[in-house]
Amino acid sequence: MPYLMKSQALRILIGRLGRALSVSFWVMVISFAIMRIIPGDPASARLGAGAEMEAIEELRKTLNLNGSIFSQFTNYVMGLLQGDLGTSLQTGRTVIDIVSSTLPLTLYLIIFSTFFALLLSIPISTSIAWYAKAPIVYVFRSVTAVILATPNFFIAMIGILIFTVRVNWAPVFGYDPQFPQNLKYLWLPILVNTLIMTSVISRVLFSSVTETKEEEFVETGIIRGVGRRRFFWFYILKPSMAPTVVLLSYMMGTMLGATVILETIFSLPGIGRELVNAVLTSDYPMVQGILLIFGVITVFLSFTGDVIAYLLDRRVKI
Amino acid sequence: MSINPLVSIKDLKIEVRVTRAKRLSIVDSASFEIESGKIIGLIGESGSGKTMLCRSLVGTLDRRGAYIAAGQLIFDGIDLIAAKQSVWNEIRGKRIGYVPQSALAGPNPVMTIGAQLAEAILQDENFPKSDVEKRSLELLNIVQIRRPETVLKQYQHELSGGMKQRVMIACAIAQQPELIVADEPTTGLDVTVQAEIMELLKQIRKDFNTSIILVSHDLPLINEICDDIVVMHAGTTVEKIPSKLIKTSKHPYTIALYNSRIDLVEPKGQLKTINGQPPSVGNWPAGCRFSERCDFVKDKCRVKQDLPLIEIGSNHQTSCLRYDEIAR
Repeated sequence: MPYLMKSQALRILIGRLGRALSVSFWVMVISFAIMRIIPGDPASARLGAGAEMEAIEELRKTLNLNGSIFSQFTNYVMGLLQGDLGTSLQTGRTVIDIVSSTLPLTLYLIIFSTFFALLLSIPISTSIAWYAKAPIVYVFRSVTAVILATPNFFIAMIGILIFTVRVNWAPVFGYDPQFPQNLKYLWLPILVNTLIMTSVISRVLFSSVTETKEEEFVETGIIRGVGRRRFFWFYILKPSMAPTVVLLSYMMGTMLGATVILETIFSLPGIGRELVNAVLTSDYPMVQGILLIFGVITVFLSFTGDVIAYLLDRRVKI
Repeated sequence: MSINPLVSIKDLKIEVRVTRAKRLSIVDSASFEIESGKIIGLIGESGSGKTMLCRSLVGTLDRRGAYIAAGQLIFDGIDLIAAKQSVWNEIRGKRIGYVPQSALAGPNPVMTIGAQLAEAILQDENFPKSDVEKRSLELLNIVQIRRPETVLKQYQHELSGGMKQRVMIACAIAQQPELIVADEPTTGLDVTVQAEIMELLKQIRKDFNTSIILVSHDLPLINEICDDIVVMHAGTTVEKIPSKLIKTSKHPYTIALYNSRIDLVEPKGQLKTINGQPPSVGNWPAGCRFSERCDFVKDKCRVKQDLPLIEIGSNHQTSCLRYDEIAR
């Protein structure tokens, strides 16, 4: 990438990376603070009203709740640096262990549905926006609006009704974490999620393309005689992609938590469900660890999205 | 009228689709010719149809929901009204270059200047790829851009308004077209930059014998460099006049346009303006469309009638009914 050598671009990217790192730091501070700012004592909340003082004291020690707030924070950071996110109170397994066994499922779900949503949105949005035939635009707007207005669990239930109950193409529950086999269990949730993401992304891309095609440089390109393929990429898609890319990176981050509904409906052991369980059982180290990981992934995704948007279109301020 | 002009426009009528049934005339009865190697200035207020007339020359009317309803539009023997995509592919970027309106446009924001020049250069499929950079630098030199090596790697937002416009001109002349369509190429630029761009266009005409059609609403500015001036008002061409003779114009609208210039040399106090507003599209008066605003109007001007251009001198045509009575 020769343009990365250019000092201005490099400076902007380094600046953006610095911001991502500083946000990550604050994410860490917040995840540390959560257990300490909730009302009441996490240890006695966990053990219940009838717990003995010794047990509570023991748990406080495990949870790193003793000593000054500064030394607690130092302990926490030192632990993180050694890859120690704590131990689940519920199961006794390390948080890292649980996350690394449940996160991949959620990532598969998100990455596949993002990929397919892009694959669908690009041809749909660009062609509808470019030709702008009123009836087709109307149908496009209505269909996407209906999908957006429908709660995702409802779409998921319709999916189950059709593909599991009627034709039995998708299993009711169960999961196999090995890669291509897991798609047998994941394809239906991916389909549902793709549908929802497509309607969001295609609407954004549609309005960007509608804006782009009115621009004077597009006309200049036509009159210059630019060939179809080049025209499609350099004059329609590339100048319109930045908002979509930024939105996508943001959506992928928020979806980490939002997939909990899909995971519950399809009985999938993903990280979203793990988080909800941890909250329900007052498993503070788990909550803290998962939030930290969600936060860091979200920061990383939005950094990547901004960088891609900037590389596509230098007008973007990141 | 010359025997074999490069472009010949006759009674051209352009309409725009407003709704499924409603059509609005934007240009009707535009007629003029462009001879090889001439610079033609197309002058008129906003809404006079000059931009649409330009678009018809490059075949992008349909982008604006407009189309040619009647008339003739011939470029070097090719009927542009009936032209298919394959014909346009041979004309656009090769035989007709285009310089867009400066205020809104400029180069593609997601491509480097070099990539766009290469695109323009490679419209000639036989051009060797290894020479693209050399040719790009050559083009940037023609349009007098300093540090062309740096500019090649830059994006449009890194350039000034004048430089953007120079780049657009460089792209337009890449294939040495016979005609350059420049739609308000200097609107919104500094006065000094405007003059430089005009000078550059003049130089290009001299070096490559290119015809240029220069759209503007600034008559004094383009009168300097044009050979002939075509004046448009409310969708019609009202006068065609050699720029040398602009002071002896025989159409009150041209006279009014010329008189409303701001004379920087001798400030005389009151700035002259043209009465009223240009009639809006669809509300053109019957008869002479300038009649509502004209100082010389008589009842016969208001009668519903066609007002063709009348030859009143060498290369000088006017549509004014009272041309022989008008004197300054």
